[in-house]
Amino acid sequence: MTTIRDFMTDDHRRCDDVFAEVEQAVADGDWTAAGACFTRFHESVLQHFAAEESLLFPAFERKTGMSMGPTQVMRSEHVQMRELMQAAADALAAKNADDYAGNAETLLIMMQQHNMKEENILYPMCDQHLAYEAETLVPQLRAEMPGAGA
Amino acid sequence: MQAILSFEQAPPMAAPFRFFLTAPLFALLAGLLLLVAGPEALLSRWTPGALALTHLVALGFVLQVMLGAMIQILPVVAGANLSHPLWVARIVHALLLAGVLCLAGSFLGWFSGFVPAAALLGAGVGCFILMAALSLRGVPPTSATITGLKVALLSLAAVLALGIALAGGMGGSWSLPMVETIHAHAGWGLAGWGLGLLSAVAYVVVPMFQLTPLYPHWFSRFFGGSLLAVAVLATPAVLFGHDVLAGLLQALLVWIAAVFCAMTLWLQARSKRARPDTTQRLWRGAMQSGLAACALWALVALVPALGERDEWPLLFGVLVLAGGYMSVIIGMLYKVVPFLVWLHLQNRGRGKVVAPNMKAVLAEAPMQRQMRVHFAACALLAGGVLWPAGLARPAGLAMVASAVLLAINLLSALGVYRRHAALVDARLAELGLAEAGVGRRA
Repeated sequence: MTTIRDFMTDDHRRCDDVFAEVEQAVADGDWTAAGACFTRFHESVLQHFAAEESLLFPAFERKTGMSMGPTQVMRSEHVQMRELMQAAADALAAKNADDYAGNAETLLIMMQQHNMKEENILYPMCDQHLAYEAETLVPQLRAEMPGAGA
Repeated sequence: MQAILSFEQAPPMAAPFRFFLTAPLFALLAGLLLLVAGPEALLSRWTPGALALTHLVALGFVLQVMLGAMIQILPVVAGANLSHPLWVARIVHALLLAGVLCLAGSFLGWFSGFVPAAALLGAGVGCFILMAALSLRGVPPTSATITGLKVALLSLAAVLALGIALAGGMGGSWSLPMVETIHAHAGWGLAGWGLGLLSAVAYVVVPMFQLTPLYPHWFSRFFGGSLLAVAVLATPAVLFGHDVLAGLLQALLVWIAAVFCAMTLWLQARSKRARPDTTQRLWRGAMQSGLAACALWALVALVPALGERDEWPLLFGVLVLAGGYMSVIIGMLYKVVPFLVWLHLQNRGRGKVVAPNMKAVLAEAPMQRQMRVHFAACALLAGGVLWPAGLARPAGLAMVASAVLLAINLLSALGVYRRHAALVDARLAELGLAEAGVGRRA
């Protein structure tokens, strides 16, 4: 059976791949392709956040009784990443490569350190506490993230 | 519960930054020393100048940044919470600075300070090891990085113990087989601690910053343990003069290091990023320099006449310390410093004031400029070992230039932080949110 950690980690990697495609398109000066890829990236990440915030985190909070713990920190990091993605989207729309690069770089590191905390700490905790629920939870998460696990 | 707390206990910015900001000073001192001492410093690894230079770089620059970075990463990558990080940072930093200066002065014969240097470094680094070990206690080894951090920390304890023994020997407190102990001390430092920590961090940051594939599972799973096992086995062989066994085990350590460098270069060649940035180039340069050092070791093993020459251990040291560790550390500083400035400004602004992005904190061009000067300094240092009369002083000058540019880059990032923080505070005050900012950490 797929663990929560494996499933969600795979989705992180999928988002990374699309992020790299955007960067490549910007480097090639292909603004149309960059815009299209970025939209895909933006949507994928937002779906991932939404699935966590509406399904995974509440399940974890219900089970452990911790609503001000790690999930709270993850939510606040989601807010910061949403802002960075918007700034990067604005830079792309303005075809400002330098501004895009600065925001994208910041977003990348923010995103990667966030992923690391989830993959190494939060998801293993979810697998531990939600062992019985995982069988139904993973398909629900998959349904919320149409691109995942494809 | 430990893992949960880690989400909230990222250390205050002043904890790692004090290490990052004073490290270039020691690279600068090393450069000045070479500039003043000239060719004589590079005649052999045993000259006072070479010993002082090695320790200014290894402790003053490399170890200093590594300790600062570890304070920052322990909670993030391992869920290990250092208690009172700011106090630990202050104490360790002050003792380390004083200890390195005291040690360098003693090597240069300015005063007889080996015993005080050992006391200062023993207390400072010992305090760090103790606090880091306490934070890692009970953290399950769920990733190769956590295992690697533990290996590195154990190795640092071995380096420190052997270093204290050597300082006591130099200071006349006791007698011991100096050359053998020095070999064991350097081996634990470069391989166990240095490579142990570097590999633990690399498993995370190489795929993360450079979007490469992950290190293969077989590799990251066994690397730290193999490194530790070989270092442990090699120590008695080296200390008790079993030359053949010691030679074999040291060669094995070198091969392990070479595999790490080659693996990292192989992964970097598969980076999905559009073009390599300064950090990636510095990593690449470091891994190539590491491989060159390993090749040199192999060459010396094959051609014994080379092993009798004074140049080769110095050249090996330059390739590993300056070309390898310094390069990779500068590359890491160029990611970590702008990111932390952004992160702390973002938190300070509390969603009301947008922080400048990383490239607005520190642009690519000045980083690249410094990187070129650093690589030139490494080349001149390597050349200076082979032709001290002609290149020792130019190498010193290049080291000074590289250290000054690095300091300017890091201080300019700090300047952005200070200016923007003042703007944030003013803006929040306008919004009537100033009082809510009390107790904010930055």
